Amino acid sequence: MQSAKTATVRVSRRFNASPERVFDAWLDPERARRFLFTRPGQTVIRAEIDARVGGSYLFVARRDGVDYDHVGKYLEIDRPRRLVFTLQVPQVWSDFNRVTIEIAPVAGGCELTLVHEAALAEFEDRLRGGWTAFLEGLELVASEREPARVR
Amino acid sequence: MVKSAARRKTPPARLDAVFHALADATRRSILRGVAERPKTVGEIARPYRVSLAAVSKHLKVLERADLIRREKRGSFQIVRLNAAPMRAAEEWIRRYERFWNRQLDALQDLLDREDSR
Repeated sequence: MQSAKTATVRVSRRFNASPERVFDAWLDPERARRFLFTRPGQTVIRAEIDARVGGSYLFVARRDGVDYDHVGKYLEIDRPRRLVFTLQVPQVWSDFNRVTIEIAPVAGGCELTLVHEAALAEFEDRLRGGWTAFLEGLELVASEREPARVR
Repeated sequence: MVKSAARRKTPPARLDAVFHALADATRRSILRGVAERPKTVGEIARPYRVSLAAVSKHLKVLERADLIRREKRGSFQIVRLNAAPMRAAEEWIRRYERFWNRQLDALQDLLDREDSR
């Protein structure tokens, strides 16, 4: 759902692993660095996690010789159900972002739902970029896109 | 004298207003219509079996989202598309969906690698 102040993206995924195992992967630096903030051509070279409510994390991801800091604070830690943290990537995203992960047990594993909320200020910056007709975008948004979509 | 609403300085549209505006089929259809070319309110209303007042209500919602701009031409109002807010909404969603799906793909790979050990 959209609130007045944020925009939201929701993705979900089913894993053939226990909720605990999936949950712990987000907070164990050795496991987290092997998936979180990685991508082809981007490696996490440093991962520090202070897994307490109010604790911080720092992931340094290196791509093309440039280091990108991913930083945030843990707001809620409720193993293995729910994890909420803030996320900033100062070089890339300027604004406040909050990520909520919910993990529910299902037969044979678990289902993870991730909701990313971003403060509106980010759009305001983007919207100042001028206005051009963009029919492709119109068609896409109008016919397929919903504000919060579960895969 | 031509009074241009587009030239007035308006605050940036809010993304939730954009999504609300796009959630209605009639409003999407109106947008596609004015995307082809700017139209008068009468031209916009013609294809729909609704009152001019109802169309005017839809136009207000679209205007709040900054998806259209109105210009006065004499006694007519010309309505134009303003695609920037929509484009920003679309880009934002796609960017973050891609980003998080990539993370979840990588998490799946990690779990698979651990399983095969």
